[in-house]
Amino acid sequence: MKYSKMELPSRADHLWRYTPWKRIHPTSVEQVPEAIPIRWSLNEGGSLSDGVPDHSMNDDIARIFLSELTSEKVSLSVDGSASIVHLHGVASGHAAAGRLHIDFHQDTTVVIHLSGEADWAGLHITGSVQANVRAGVGFVNELSANTKFLRCEDWIVERDARFELAALSIGGFRCKNDLRTRLNATGSSLKQAISVHGHNQRHVDHHIEIHHHVGHTDSDLHVHAACNDQSHSISTGLLTIAESANQSDASQVFKNLLLSERSRAEAIPELEVLADDVSANHGAASSPVDPDQIHYLMSRGLGLEEATALIIEGFMQDGFSMLKSKELIDEIRTRLTVHLECELKR
Amino acid sequence: MSDQAYDAVGDYRFGFHDPENSTIRFDKGLSEQVVRDISALKDEPKWMTDLRVKAYNHFMERPMPDWGNCGSLNEINFDNITYFLRSSDATENDWSDVPDDIKNTFNRLGIPEAEQKWLGGVTAQYESEAVYHSIREDLEEQGVLFLDMDSGLKQFPDIVKKYFGTVIPHTDNKFSALNTAVWSGGSFIYVPKGVHVEMPVQAYFRINAKNMGQFERTLIIADEDSSIHYVEGCTAPTYSTDSLHSAVVELIAMKGAKIRYSTIQNWSANVFNLVTKRGVAHEKATIEWVDGNIGSKLTMKYPAVLLKGEGAHAEVISVAYAGKGQHQDAGAKVHHLAPNTTSNILSKSISKNGGRSSYRGMLQVTPKSHGCRSKVVCDALMLDSDSRSDTYPTMEVGNPTADLEHEASVSKVSGDQLFYLMSRGFTEAEAMGLIVNGFFEPFTRELPMEYAVELNKLLELEMEGSIG
Repeated sequence: MKYSKMELPSRADHLWRYTPWKRIHPTSVEQVPEAIPIRWSLNEGGSLSDGVPDHSMNDDIARIFLSELTSEKVSLSVDGSASIVHLHGVASGHAAAGRLHIDFHQDTTVVIHLSGEADWAGLHITGSVQANVRAGVGFVNELSANTKFLRCEDWIVERDARFELAALSIGGFRCKNDLRTRLNATGSSLKQAISVHGHNQRHVDHHIEIHHHVGHTDSDLHVHAACNDQSHSISTGLLTIAESANQSDASQVFKNLLLSERSRAEAIPELEVLADDVSANHGAASSPVDPDQIHYLMSRGLGLEEATALIIEGFMQDGFSMLKSKELIDEIRTRLTVHLECELKR
Repeated sequence: MSDQAYDAVGDYRFGFHDPENSTIRFDKGLSEQVVRDISALKDEPKWMTDLRVKAYNHFMERPMPDWGNCGSLNEINFDNITYFLRSSDATENDWSDVPDDIKNTFNRLGIPEAEQKWLGGVTAQYESEAVYHSIREDLEEQGVLFLDMDSGLKQFPDIVKKYFGTVIPHTDNKFSALNTAVWSGGSFIYVPKGVHVEMPVQAYFRINAKNMGQFERTLIIADEDSSIHYVEGCTAPTYSTDSLHSAVVELIAMKGAKIRYSTIQNWSANVFNLVTKRGVAHEKATIEWVDGNIGSKLTMKYPAVLLKGEGAHAEVISVAYAGKGQHQDAGAKVHHLAPNTTSNILSKSISKNGGRSSYRGMLQVTPKSHGCRSKVVCDALMLDSDSRSDTYPTMEVGNPTADLEHEASVSKVSGDQLFYLMSRGFTEAEAMGLIVNGFFEPFTRELPMEYAVELNKLLELEMEGSIG
């Protein structure tokens, strides 16, 4: 299917309800503009090579558009020499795009840092976690405050593999993230944590799909969004459990902390369950900063701003507490702390 | 019941039908002329005729919804539906004056008996119009208006004109447009200031004819500091072809008023039940939807409350049972449009024999609504591997002081619970029935006792044969 032949997605679909395609497209919707490839660099622990395997799990408009936008495709191979691999991407120019593929054949954690001053950035990440592997991927969005960002991810988790995904969304102006994982074989497990810090006029839209394709699989999703100023966070989750996927255990929790009069947050945690012997649940909550917590901290000598900042930090850190990979947690938490230090004490 | 009759209606108790003795029956199909003819037949004021025509045009222009169970929705053949059928020349207020065949139907449904025992008023609608209507004298003396909607429009045109379509305009959705174009029957209730209607009033809706469309319109206005409990029940015969029920219900609760609207929808499995229900709650008012969906082929119904006044409260309790070939797409919508408003939503569903139940909800807090609180709980029980359960909740929060919670779970009947009950002498089927009744208990305890007993019986019937 060519992008030019595709119909624009309907806003009746939750995926496009709050961030319609035309608002995330870099120019006008009928165009596929020229894009500068995202520049990748790697310190240690692996190597980058050109080309990616065919990994067409989904063929929706965003993925087709990204595939036409960039011809430069990069695969990351990790060699096991480092417990954590840092991959840095820089997006620059009017429009920047990248296509990245990672296959995990051994226990590793990869943290992807995306930064740059591009007006628009698009990134499609695909990958798989092979049988019995414990892998983790962290994604830190540190794009400039004026960048529009479109990101798609497609992951496949194989038999008895343990996969942890952590994402920290602190950069970019308008961000649309469409993240999909398929638990493809018995015993596969996913833990996914996302923390969003909404500030200024950030608009951050996360759509997370987790598909339990077979039984005896488990998934756990936590999304924490703290929204300040005039920011807007949207979290839509779709948890599907196939008819044959009995004994699956799935849970998703969306929490929003609203910090200003003009901030907004949306949560749509959807469940589609076709098997009967499963445990599937979801929860969503939205609340202001708890005055009792503020009182407690202020009674111990903190000022109001410090107390609030500490609560925000705790709330966002808490999203990652269910992850098992210490390297991943430490790295993401460090990035978060640095960001909040700059942002809350500006 | 004879074997022959059983073959015709299956497990559905109310699947019997009477011969169709109509006094007026329109040809199948919808056109502007049909809309004008319905209005002319009822001798309506010009504004209503104009509104109907406007709604008809909107219905024709508006596409079918592109969400939900589109496949099933697109099966509806609007040209194969009878839009108006009059079964009786008048709305009677004495059962002895109601035509025998219709009276027999309502006797079999137990309506006259219930009226004597525990109801403040009854409207019985058969096909397009009410055939029986009564209200207790003491309520009438207190100024409570309880009429069928057609009579309401005739006798109180000013009140109807003031409120009709204000909560659910014809442009709201395709089916509210259809209802506004061809509405007939339904209830009109006005409760004066400070009056508390202690006994529930009831409307019973029955479709008897094949390929019938029932489009009742209900408008309930509870004036300041008043209260009312309205109960509606619905059944239809089992035919091999489909019928359409597309109602619009508008509730208006003024300052400090309380309206509770309870529904037990038990349409046969060939009825499309596409209903728009919405209430507006003004300052410190309460609107409660207690909504039970057991029957129908496809139900799409999301009772809504607009919390418009400070301190208003909404409560939605809904249960759905989706059996073979059924899709219960139900839910709730609460819009917190004013400060310090609160709401509770509890949704429970059971899917069995390949049935599909969906919860679709919306919880919205607008930027100026400070101090709102809401809690949503959805529980789904799946009784076999052929069934399906979906949850599509939406939370839109525009105010930082809002405190909202949503939780949902999907599970099957616990083996431990079954084992416990069976170890105390229950058969597996009895144990399953008890567990299901217990699962629905938060709903049934909100119903008048007679309804709760009836609901439990219905569920037991539906659950028969669910084991082995």
